Amino acid sequence: MVVQTESFVMLSIVLFVLGAMGVLLRRNAIMVFMSIELMLNAANLALVAFARYWGNETGQLFVFFVITVAAAEVAVGLALIVAIFRSKRSINIDELHEMKG
Amino acid sequence: MLEITPNTIAFLVFALLSVGGALGVVVSTNLIHGALFLIVSLFGGAGLFVLLAAPFMAAVQILVYIGAIAILIIFAVMLTRSMTSLSEIFNRQWWISAIVAVVMLGLLLVGAILPVWGPSGTNAMLPVSDAVGTTVDLGIALVDGNQFVLPFEVASLLLTAAMIGAIVIARDNE
Amino acid sequence: MLQLPSLETLNMGAALPAISIAAWACILLLIDLWIPKDRKILTVYLAAGNLVFAFIANLLVFNQSGDSFMGMYVADQFSGVMNLIIIGTALLSIVLSFDYLKRVGIERGEYYVLVLFVTAGAMFMAAANDLILIFVALELLSIPLYVLSAFRAPDIRSEEAGMKYFLLGAFASAFLVFGGAMVYGATGTTNLNEIAASAGMIIASNSSTSLFLLLGAALLLVGLGFKVAAVPFHEWTPDVYEGAPTPVTAFMSVAAKLGGFGSLLRILVVGMSAVTMTAGEPAVWQNVVAILAGLTMIVGNIVALSQANIKRMLAYSSIANAGYILMAVAAAGSPGLANEATRGALVYMLAYMFTNMGAFAVVIAVERANGGADLEHFVGLGKARPMLAIMMVVFMMSLTGIPLTGGFIGKALVFATTLNAGLVWLAIIGVLTSVVSAYYYVRVIVNMFLRDAEASTEEATPGYSTGVQWVAAVALGGTVLLGVLPTLITVLTDRVSLVASITP
Repeated sequence: MVVQTESFVMLSIVLFVLGAMGVLLRRNAIMVFMSIELMLNAANLALVAFARYWGNETGQLFVFFVITVAAAEVAVGLALIVAIFRSKRSINIDELHEMKG
Repeated sequence: MLEITPNTIAFLVFALLSVGGALGVVVSTNLIHGALFLIVSLFGGAGLFVLLAAPFMAAVQILVYIGAIAILIIFAVMLTRSMTSLSEIFNRQWWISAIVAVVMLGLLLVGAILPVWGPSGTNAMLPVSDAVGTTVDLGIALVDGNQFVLPFEVASLLLTAAMIGAIVIARDNE
Repeated sequence: MLQLPSLETLNMGAALPAISIAAWACILLLIDLWIPKDRKILTVYLAAGNLVFAFIANLLVFNQSGDSFMGMYVADQFSGVMNLIIIGTALLSIVLSFDYLKRVGIERGEYYVLVLFVTAGAMFMAAANDLILIFVALELLSIPLYVLSAFRAPDIRSEEAGMKYFLLGAFASAFLVFGGAMVYGATGTTNLNEIAASAGMIIASNSSTSLFLLLGAALLLVGLGFKVAAVPFHEWTPDVYEGAPTPVTAFMSVAAKLGGFGSLLRILVVGMSAVTMTAGEPAVWQNVVAILAGLTMIVGNIVALSQANIKRMLAYSSIANAGYILMAVAAAGSPGLANEATRGALVYMLAYMFTNMGAFAVVIAVERANGGADLEHFVGLGKARPMLAIMMVVFMMSLTGIPLTGGFIGKALVFATTLNAGLVWLAIIGVLTSVVSAYYYVRVIVNMFLRDAEASTEEATPGYSTGVQWVAAVALGGTVLLGVLPTLITVLTDRVSLVASITP
C-alpha cells in the first residue's frame, strides 16, 4: 500500500506556508533566504508527487529546473548579502532604510 | 486514512523531519542552527522523493541542495559573522504576517485539498501510477528536441548570468 | 531513443531573434576581455549591433509564425510585436547607460552582457508556451536585473536595491513555482495548449478539480503580479527604482513589465480562457484581475501624488501603468475579446516604453546637471534648458494620456476594450485615476516653467550627453508619431491573435 498523493500535497502545502511565514516574519536576510528555499522545496515535493500521480516525468523535470534556478539564486543572493554586510555591517532587512517613503 | 505499513511509517518519519526542520528554520535564534535545520528539512524532502519513486531527484536533492546550497548558506553566515544569537527574531509587523500566513494555509487547504481529495472528492479513489520515468528517460527528455531542450539551454544561460553577476557584485572595486 | 534533432524540425529560424541575442551575450562576454578599459564604447557598439540584427531578423520572421522547439516556443505575431518592443527598450537603455556608467565610474563590459541576458529572458518569456520555460525565462530576466540594480556597489543604496529586489523576486518565484505545480497537478501537463484543452474538460465535467486549477492560476498570478508590480505586490518597487542606477531603473521598469505581461497574457488567454463557469461567460479569473487592476491604478496614482523625488514618482507611475495594462488583461477574459484586448495592451506597452524611456532620459540629464532627481532639481529647467523641458512636457502629457501622444492612443484602446467587456466600473476608475495622475505630472511641468531657480545653478555643466540626447529624441519621436499616426503600429498589432485556434 503506497502513500496517497493527497498526503504529499497536504504536507507540501504545510511546508510552503511555513516557508512563507518565515519570509514574512524574519528580519535577517539569510533567514529570509532560507525560508524561500523551504518554499521552493515544498513546491518540489508537490511536483514530484504529481509526477507519480500522472505517471509522466514532466513534474520531475520541473523539479530539475527549480533546483538549477535555486542554485543560481543562491550564488547571486549570497554575493549580495556579503557585499551589503561589507559596506554596512548589518543584514537586517528592517535596517535597509537608506531610502524611505 | 493512513494504514500502518512500512511505507506510511517512512512517510511519517520523513514528513516529521521536513516539517520539524522547517519549523526550526522559522523560529531558531541562531543562524547556524537555522542552516542546520534547513539541512534536516531538505533531507526529509529527499526521503520523501524516494518514497515517490524518484530516486534520481533524491540524489540531486542531497548533492545540490544539501551539498552545495546549504553549505554556501553556512559560508555566508560565517562571512557575515552574524552567527551569534539574534537579538530580535521577528520583524516589526510579525502579527500581520502571522495572520496572512494562517489565512493562506486555510485557503490552500480548503481550496486545494478538501474538494479534490477529500472524502467526496473526485480524485480520492484514483490509483497512483508507478510508471514514472527512469533516470535515462529524464536525461533524454532534457536534451531531446521534442521535449525540454530549450529550457535546458535557457537554464545554462541563467547559470552563466548568475556566475557573472556574483563575480560583478563580489569583486573588490579597485 | 534519442533522436538528434535537425535545425528544420526544431524550426530554430523562428526563434532566431531571441537565440541570437542569447548567443551573442555569451560571445560578447569573451570579446569584452580583450577590449581595453578606456574603449568600452566598443562593447556598446557590439551589443547594440546585435540588437539591431535581432530587430531586423524579427521583422523578417514576423509573418512566418510557427512553433519552434516543438511547441515550447511560439513565434507568432504576438511574440513578434513583443520582441520589437523589448529590443527597442534594450537598445534605448544601452545608449542611455554608456554615459552614465562612465560618469559614476562603473564602466564595465559585463553591464551590457547582463542587459542582453535580460533582453533574451524577456523575449523567451513572451514566446514561451510552457510553464517550465516561463519559469526559467523569468529567472533569466530577473537574476541579471538583481545584479544590475546593485551594479553601483559599493554604493549602499544600490546594494540595498539589489538585495530588496532579490529577496522579493525570489519570494515571487516561489509562488510561481507552487502555482505551476498546482496547475500541473490539476491537468498533468505544463504545456499551455494542453492545459487549455484539459481545462475545458475539467470545467465541462463540473468536477471540483477546477478549484485546484484556479488555485494554481491564482498563485501564478501572484508570482507574475510581483514582477509587473501590481498592487498589493508592489511594495518593493519604489525603493528598488530609487536605489538602482537610473538607466537600470529605466530598463527594468519596462523590460520586467514586458516579460511579465507577455507571460501573463499567454497563461491567461492561451491556457486559461476556457475556464468559465458556463460557456459564453467571461473567464472566472476576469473579476480577480479586474480588482487587481482597479487597486493598482488607485494606489499607484494616489501615492504618486505625495512623492518629491522624480524617480520615486515614476516608480509609482509605473505601478499605475501596470494597472492600466492589467485592465486590458481583465478585458481579455471576455469571450471574443481576447484578441482586441491583447492588441490594446501591446499598443499601450509600446507607448509606455517610449514615454518612460524618454522621461528617464530627461531624469538622467537633470541628475547629471543638477546633482539629483528631486522635484526641486527640475525648478527653472524651462529657462535653463528649454529643449529638455519641452521634451519632458511631452512625456508627462503622454503619461497622463493627452491626445496627440502615444499614451492617449494606448489608453483609448485599453478603455475601449474594457467598455466592450462590460467592465464599466473599471473603466470609470481608469478615467478618474488618469485625472488624478494629471496633478502630479503637471506639477513637474509647473516646476520646470513657472518657478524660477534661485539663480544659483552652475550653468557650466552640460545638460546632456549625445547618448542621452539621442534617446530622448527617439523617445520623443516615437511618442508623438504613435500619437499622430497610430496606424503605423496597429497595422502590426492587428495581425496578433493569441486564440485563433480556440473557438468560444
